[in-house]
Amino acid sequence: MEIALATTRREFLGTSTAAAGALGLGLHRGLLASEPPAERAGKSLNMLILGGTTYLGPYQIKYALERGHKISIFNRGRTVPTLYPELFDRVEKLKGDRENDLEALKGRVWDAVIDNSATDPKWVHDTAQLLKDSVQFYMYTSSTGVFYPYLTNGIDESTEVLLELDPDGGGASRYGVNKSLSENEVREAFPDRDIIIRPHYIIGPGDPNDRLTYWVARIAAGGEMLVPGDPDGAVQLIDVRDLTEWMIRMIEGQVTGTYIATGPASRLSTAELAYGIRSIVSNRISFTWVDTDFLIEHGIPYMVPWVAPRGDTLGMSTINPGKAIKAGLTYRPLAVTARDNLEWWNAQSEERRAKMGELPNEKEVEVLAAWHARGQ
Amino acid sequence: MTTRRREFLQTAAAAAGALSLGAVPSPAAEPRVPNSQEPLRILILGGTGFIGPHEISYALARGHQVTIFNRGRSQPSLFPELYSRVEWLKGDRNGDFAALEGREWDAVIDNAAMIPRWVRESAGLLKDAASQYLYISTLSVYGSFPDPGMDETWPVATIDDPTAEEVNGRTYGPLKALCEQEAEKAFPDRATVVRPGLIVGPGDPTDRWTYWPVRINRGGEVLAPGDPGTLVRFIDVRDLTEWAIRLLEQQTPGVFNAVGPRSHLSIAEMLYGIRATTSDAVSFTWVDTDFLFEHDVRPWADMPAWLPPRDGYEGYGSISRDRAIAAGLSFRPLAVTATDTVDWWMSLPEERRQSPKAGLTPEREAEVLAAWDARAESDQ
Repeated sequence: MEIALATTRREFLGTSTAAAGALGLGLHRGLLASEPPAERAGKSLNMLILGGTTYLGPYQIKYALERGHKISIFNRGRTVPTLYPELFDRVEKLKGDRENDLEALKGRVWDAVIDNSATDPKWVHDTAQLLKDSVQFYMYTSSTGVFYPYLTNGIDESTEVLLELDPDGGGASRYGVNKSLSENEVREAFPDRDIIIRPHYIIGPGDPNDRLTYWVARIAAGGEMLVPGDPDGAVQLIDVRDLTEWMIRMIEGQVTGTYIATGPASRLSTAELAYGIRSIVSNRISFTWVDTDFLIEHGIPYMVPWVAPRGDTLGMSTINPGKAIKAGLTYRPLAVTARDNLEWWNAQSEERRAKMGELPNEKEVEVLAAWHARGQ
Repeated sequence: MTTRRREFLQTAAAAAGALSLGAVPSPAAEPRVPNSQEPLRILILGGTGFIGPHEISYALARGHQVTIFNRGRSQPSLFPELYSRVEWLKGDRNGDFAALEGREWDAVIDNAAMIPRWVRESAGLLKDAASQYLYISTLSVYGSFPDPGMDETWPVATIDDPTAEEVNGRTYGPLKALCEQEAEKAFPDRATVVRPGLIVGPGDPTDRWTYWPVRINRGGEVLAPGDPGTLVRFIDVRDLTEWAIRLLEQQTPGVFNAVGPRSHLSIAEMLYGIRATTSDAVSFTWVDTDFLFEHDVRPWADMPAWLPPRDGYEGYGSISRDRAIAAGLSFRPLAVTATDTVDWWMSLPEERRQSPKAGLTPEREAEVLAAWDARAESDQ
């Protein structure tokens, strides 16, 4: 059976979510069964999510509600959620602005706060100080970006992070330092009550940044596909659901500390990524591996989750998630992530899909032609 | 460990369990296949082995009537509940066709014959009683695969004594070729010859391809054979059998290589594709072909699906399947085949799973990996 493209958008949308999982790809049963709701937790908790409407938030809310928790979200009320919009009727909505209006949070008590949205240490400082006596745990969504520049392989929680801006460092450096400083704000306001999570590329259905989405859509489009670098070179990524569900369980378990949240459980090569995604379709496709130097010369230093393992990103894809795994982080199979990502993508509006453009895109065609012209 | 932490880990484990890939296949759970327009009366010679149950499942779902003919000795282990819905005729291809006499069918599927006389007798008996004869043959009719891009026009292997009835590694292919010819002789322009290679998936009694998804799901360091780029060919039993039924619905005669997948697949793509269906820690160590031969690791039997492109197998991995695709052969994604195969395997009794019939034992695999590791170190 051909891939999801054969399923019309109307058919897809007209089907229940459960059945859509089985229909979209012509996949059935097994891998394909849609997941049952999570089991209820032993104790119902009150959680406050700062942010909550874009990407991680909806998944945190979905899982937390299934587990029997109560959710408040705090934001400016400007973003209309597109993921699980129906869930937002079941959460308390508090309006305010992390820049200058935290009124709605005053005089309230929660078991835990999840801070998804801060890249500015001042924001974290203000909410953490405000909530430190009324909330038990502060979970901060940080990033492996704190390790930038990634100069060694096997980075783990003991690896030092930069706390001062490198004047020549650029955006990646600024982002990393701000995340590190934000982490410290949490540690200071919530000593031994801080839960700091450092995810790598967060991918899967709903990703606003079209990262793994590019790979799955491109592989589904078939034909000759440019794949980057050394087939054995490592990549890392984490399914947004694996991340967010684990975050909720960390709060339930009151597990504090700092955790790197990369995936999968063991090293994944770029070939394993590409060929793994291929396993969810049955089209005509072939892969052409193009050398890293050649890609850099042609202006392709990354194809997320692949990033050229050079210079400041040398160790970016070999970060060690062992501590998080010991603390209960689990992973969906890549085929499930890829299948769900593709089905989500195929269900998006034409306008949304147009943002990625035609596949293969001009750049890919051009670089492949140049690569072949070199006699490869 | 605090109670709270223990509970937490149990919750995490339960959550991980919920991510397992689902339950045992049951035909009832199959999405309903649209009925074909004309219900057919289909006779299946055999019908209780590996591919028969899948043919029956699909044919019934399409609204056809199914009769099976066999000795009645093997009880179907796959989809046993379907057999109450088929007519079961008892007889023996070795001379007892009484149950078939005076009956009519639209089409016959011959799954079982390996000896030309069997086909001659059954096809001869049925040539006026059925309009189409579909014979499940094999790629082995080609004898060897020296040429990349071989298609159905490639000559088949021959045998000095066409009356030979001893089936062994040497005679199997040529005898199947003669079987094809018997079918075509009795049903000129009405015979359909389907040549699958490695048939895989739920219910496979040989444990060959099953080795890979089961092995990879066990995790750890997996021995991967030879050159990652070596091409492989196999077909999901459901893709094969469903297409076979559709060939009857469309009354398509002809000879077809029935291999998958749709486009070239390297053994690395196969193994890494299977890896995508598990989330356990796993790594692959590619061991050189000559080293494997030196250590008595055999292609196919020990490393299923793997036939290094030498000694007459140069063209095996790229054999043409264009004619079958043009005639409607379609393919499930590899992830589906792999997952369903593991689910089926896990549904088998423990003692059946204890001694698989193909692939390396964990001990042998560890031994060869250790030897490879020692050699790699001494090379440095």
